[in-house]
Amino acid sequence: MDRNTDLIVIGAGPAGLSAACAARACGLEVTLIDEQAAPGGQLFRNIETPMAQAILDPKDRETGLALVNRFRSCGATYYPCATVWGLEPHKVSCTINGKAESFSASYIVIAPGGMERPVPFPGWTLPGVMGAGGADILLRSGGTLSAERGTPVVLAGNGPLLILLACHLLNAGVNIAAWLDTGTWGRRLQSGALMPAGILDAAYLGKGLGMACRILKNRVPIIRGVTGIRAEGTDHVEKVLYEAGGKTHEIATRTLLRHEGIIPRTHILNSLGARHAWDTVQRYWYPVTDEFGHTSVDSVYIAGDGTYVHGGDASLLKGTLAGIEIARRLGVISNDEAHYRCAPALRALRRTRIARGFLRYAFAPNPAIFDLPDDTLVCRCECVTAGDIRKAVAEGFLDVNEVKRVTRCGMGQCQGRMCGPALAELTAAAQAKSPAAVGTLQVRQPFRPVTLENYCDLNIPK
Amino acid sequence: MQNTATPTVHITLDGKPLEVPAGISVAAAVLGHAHAEHTCKHPVDGSARAPYCLMGVCFECLMEINGEPNVQSCLVTVQEGMTVRRQLSGESA
Ligand code: FES
Repeated sequence: MDRNTDLIVIGAGPAGLSAACAARACGLEVTLIDEQAAPGGQLFRNIETPMAQAILDPKDRETGLALVNRFRSCGATYYPCATVWGLEPHKVSCTINGKAESFSASYIVIAPGGMERPVPFPGWTLPGVMGAGGADILLRSGGTLSAERGTPVVLAGNGPLLILLACHLLNAGVNIAAWLDTGTWGRRLQSGALMPAGILDAAYLGKGLGMACRILKNRVPIIRGVTGIRAEGTDHVEKVLYEAGGKTHEIATRTLLRHEGIIPRTHILNSLGARHAWDTVQRYWYPVTDEFGHTSVDSVYIAGDGTYVHGGDASLLKGTLAGIEIARRLGVISNDEAHYRCAPALRALRRTRIARGFLRYAFAPNPAIFDLPDDTLVCRCECVTAGDIRKAVAEGFLDVNEVKRVTRCGMGQCQGRMCGPALAELTAAAQAKSPAAVGTLQVRQPFRPVTLENYCDLNIPK
Repeated sequence: MQNTATPTVHITLDGKPLEVPAGISVAAAVLGHAHAEHTCKHPVDGSARAPYCLMGVCFECLMEINGEPNVQSCLVTVQEGMTVRRQLSGESA
């Protein structure tokens, strides 16, 4: 099947849904494709179920439900449970219910969202070690982190999301044994360098983080200046070791949750060869776009945290702007009309950006988290260690793609999604360079596993 | 813990019956409800592994679903009657 439409949106999170709604409101024909079974993305995952609603704070719940309802009635064609594995400027290839499908459109908006920055450490492949975001998804799926209630959980890392997760855990009655803080934000908050801008966004900081910090205070032992995190156990984590204050400490636990901030998911755009830039503070690549999310590939737009991590409320605005801008470029609405429709979202987005500038510094990842011992498994799929990577650099392989070729780091099923950032950091550090100077992993299509049959269905002319 | 208002579905995990909330992913059911310690033996080094991200990034959640091996189980929604098997032999397609 091959259908042609004005706009294809990939992703049903806040950005994708609002892009679809905005484009539909301008009269465009819109198809939205998403990998999940229901709209909401990560932020509003399962929001149509009472189970997931229970964990969201009332304002988020209201925003999320309103958005999903608006989308459900906006008239966009919606394909949930779709695995998108190929993308060209006007064409999307995917598998839906085991069948290969392709869609074509004048414009494409990708709304891949963000993901937790994957940071390897010794023992991170042990069951019981998870990303904090993954743990949050378990809670929102009505599940628990362990079979017995009250078993202690250890949190490790840095970032606003870890604070919110800690609150979710406390609310769910989970016993947090310790928070191993790897960041340097305490000092930065005190210095208050960018606080005045933060005040612009008082709602976010005040209600979200402020409240969260109060909840955590005195209920979670926070250990600052932690390095050398290591999980140990046979077939499951049994204890966590770390260094603080010049000494090695140990905590017995069956659950260790790591979080080092959110980074944009750039995988799909990378496979198109779109231009990206390196953020020296947040230490991630983000696509180069204009205010409407227009990438360096003419017919392809990106919206939401995939453009740069500003959070869910900004994602709604970015989606709206992309949807309206595409309607303007198609000539369905006039320049004046587009200007008028975009103005409120543009104003709000600019304000949010300034305000979030504060978070960019306050929760900057500590580069020392990538000071990994040689025996650390960096590539979980191909079992490549930090030592293997350093050895390759010492042998003269200086670009991440060269290191990948000789070590197989990034060649496994996840295609470097999990090891890519650490591979870049280690390759760069071994040459005393910035990760921006050692290249980015080339992503090949199909960017998700697809059966040979499905691939051939769309790629071999019959 | 389960909200009584939440509809449930029945699946089997390694042959054992399991009742879980409808609408969640297979990985969330196996990890958050059945509390399986690990979901596979890694094809390369044979170590025990379990889902890490639950959002389609890490590929650590591969399980056999309705007879099909190596499915990213965090991206599949539980369905009534679904059979799920952990991949414990260490072989991979
Ligand atoms: S748990 Fe990471 S891909 Fe499924």
